[in-house]
Amino acid sequence: MNSQRLETSRLLHRFGFGPRPGEYAQALKDGLSATRTKVLTVPSVDAGAATVVEPEITDLGPRPKPNTKEIVPFSIAMRFQIQQMVMWWLDRMAVSDHGLTERMTWFWHGHWATSVQKLNYALPMFKQNKTLRTHCLGNFASMTKAMLNDGALQFWLDGQDSTVKAPNENLGRELMELFTLGVDRYTEDDVKNISRVLTGYQVVRSNGNVTINQNRRDKNPVSLLGTTAVYTGDSLADFLVSRDDSAQFVAERLWYRFISSTEDMPASFSAKSGFASRDISAAVAAMANDSAMRDEKYAMVKSPVEWFISACRALELTPSQLKTPAQLINYLDKLGQVPFSPPNVGGWPAGEAWLSSATAQYRIAFATWLIKQSDLRALNEIKPASRVLKSADWLGVAEWSARTQSALRSSVNDPAQFALLALCSPEYIVSA
Amino acid sequence: MDTVTRRKFLKLTTGAVAVGAAAPMLSINEIAQAAIDRPLPAGTPILVVVTLYGGNDGLNTVVPYTDPIYYSSRPEISYKADQVLPLDAELALNPAMKGLKGLWDQKKVAIVRGVGYPNPDHSHFSSMAKWQTASPAKHINTGWLGRWVDSQPEDSMLAISLGSVLPPLLAGAKRSGSALPLGGLVIPKGTLAAECLQLSKPSKKDSKLMAAAATSMRNLFSVSTNVQPVLKAPAPVDPDLPTTNGGNAGGDSNLAQQLDVVAKLIAAGSPTKVWSVSLGGFDTHANEANAQAELLGVVSDSLTRFMGQLKSTTRSNDVTVMVYSEFGRRVVGNGSQGTDHGTSGPMFIIGNSVKGGFYGEQPSLKNLYKNDLAVTTDFRDVYATVVEKVLKSPVEPTLGKWSGRINFL
Repeated sequence: MNSQRLETSRLLHRFGFGPRPGEYAQALKDGLSATRTKVLTVPSVDAGAATVVEPEITDLGPRPKPNTKEIVPFSIAMRFQIQQMVMWWLDRMAVSDHGLTERMTWFWHGHWATSVQKLNYALPMFKQNKTLRTHCLGNFASMTKAMLNDGALQFWLDGQDSTVKAPNENLGRELMELFTLGVDRYTEDDVKNISRVLTGYQVVRSNGNVTINQNRRDKNPVSLLGTTAVYTGDSLADFLVSRDDSAQFVAERLWYRFISSTEDMPASFSAKSGFASRDISAAVAAMANDSAMRDEKYAMVKSPVEWFISACRALELTPSQLKTPAQLINYLDKLGQVPFSPPNVGGWPAGEAWLSSATAQYRIAFATWLIKQSDLRALNEIKPASRVLKSADWLGVAEWSARTQSALRSSVNDPAQFALLALCSPEYIVSA
Repeated sequence: MDTVTRRKFLKLTTGAVAVGAAAPMLSINEIAQAAIDRPLPAGTPILVVVTLYGGNDGLNTVVPYTDPIYYSSRPEISYKADQVLPLDAELALNPAMKGLKGLWDQKKVAIVRGVGYPNPDHSHFSSMAKWQTASPAKHINTGWLGRWVDSQPEDSMLAISLGSVLPPLLAGAKRSGSALPLGGLVIPKGTLAAECLQLSKPSKKDSKLMAAAATSMRNLFSVSTNVQPVLKAPAPVDPDLPTTNGGNAGGDSNLAQQLDVVAKLIAAGSPTKVWSVSLGGFDTHANEANAQAELLGVVSDSLTRFMGQLKSTTRSNDVTVMVYSEFGRRVVGNGSQGTDHGTSGPMFIIGNSVKGGFYGEQPSLKNLYKNDLAVTTDFRDVYATVVEKVLKSPVEPTLGKWSGRINFL
């Protein structure tokens, strides 16, 4: 496989949400070094993202009692706000000129995986999303502090129920296991002790406001990973993030979501040393420059949202304009991935989990639905005679296999079917 | 061969044609033909695996209702002796599990106590991975039933999981089980179908994941052409129930729907030996009593209904159900009316061929290990028994040289 085509395709699909028509060919012309720099350099103003209007997400207040008059408008408003919020984010992913910010926000959403299904309010999730975006390429210790004060995360992991009299281990365990250190890098005693540190948080569920009730806090010194101290949320975040295990863990997570979910991370993976100062952007830049980016064995399956957004970009569609948003969410749900609704605190699965016969079927139906709503401008501009080969550039695919070329060839005069086969081909579902 | 005759098959499926008319006759005929061509031979044992995600609180499932330590350990969330459903002088089922209690009384339920693995891991993900891969010491990428699939001749209908995402349980090194969503499948037709089949052909240049993507589309055609019309048929009716609507099903739940589909497909003679269904939500760190009782009610009602449905088929003696969760919960309540992650828990094995009763030692509440219940039975003892007795296969390709067995079958 042509190495420049492979690496360029990976830069556009993994560090963004895939190319818009013409972008892949341009990137090939610009060369790898320029493309890498461009992908990693977030512009101060993103004209595309600026076109997405922020939805009005308000504090809906306490939930009315069941079987009252008030519950109906409340539920309708809540559902509407959640839908608006999902559309807003999908639009940002699809129409941003520069992909890295939304891509990283998406990565961190899967990392600090919180679900609106438990919150049942849009506002706390909306705030969390903004917090993730603010910190997505910043300092990891600052991000961790911000997340400990995030109402959605606290509520999701029962932080508001954790008191000095009865510490709840849910948040403390996941903070170490899934957010900062990784499994087996602490003891069960550490879980019990960290849970004491994380007592006293109070959350207003409807708006995500967090306060600390000093009377419910355990202010005694605790022993954590061999160090005894009186910790606050902030000092705990600094303590955990500064550990070597934290660099190892974040490098592992980046590896798993950007390079390979099936192959082990080599010890030499440069994101770890790149994370020395806990600067996320430095780790991401190191990863983009790592030799793994050129290694054919590190293919990645696109998750349903990644696949859908890359298709929107190729088809020049805006998610919120699709008819209808509810139907869109239904398709994403059938494929198993709706933003703001990860299945559990571990985030979404990866790799072959997305490749069942059931998802194959939904993907075909979903793509058919999308293609009907696109004028297929970019594809129609390619002459039928050269469609098979040139469509790889349109979609940012490094190379079509002979098998796929043969399927595409028989549909060169039927653009809709051609697009459908291309979007559902193994080469498009998987980032080579 | 006393299996599904063409007539019997059509009888099973015509309800859908009359009502929904969505399944074309031709397709029904094709399916009937397929079921006649290669139905699961009569008497072939079938395994149904039920995974409870989130860590089910074993102590409030099989309750040590006469042990004072149970009451003193978790005063806020313990069940009183007069609420529970006694199984013997020491243990009782959760009040929500009336259906399962009925099956227990008929000696169709084996409860294996204290099941887990060495060095219990309190992480949902690690622990579930250990249960599903059956490899507690070392992280591996294949599930124990996926390895069993690997050891069998290729058949996309051999092992099927309900839902669109495949659990690691069924992932093999060479092949995997198939995933089947709830609801009907819409398969491409005409030239598109031909092109999709072309697109799903293996290519020499495929990476492992691209090959898997191609296979998933290929399987779509084989699985869906075989099962789609059957999915639209009504579920078998439990002859013991007065109503055709499931009677004691107690409301629709996703698990009930999944088991409905499984019951239909078993009745139709689907050549499937392993089914996987699941229910989530057992991570009850807070306000446990209601949440867990509701979920256990769903488990108990759905399984009771499922066993009832099988009575109207020829395969009721062939099916064995196995229920597990990734861990039990802490003995002592956490003060949020909930419990934190624990260690061992009970497993349920249900079926007409099961020797009902208790197996494995009940972990002591007095002698805890680091505040947690001891593990008295290794889950591989259960798996090995299931592989040998239900799947009639040698244990080694699936579980290595594992000698432990339990005599529940």
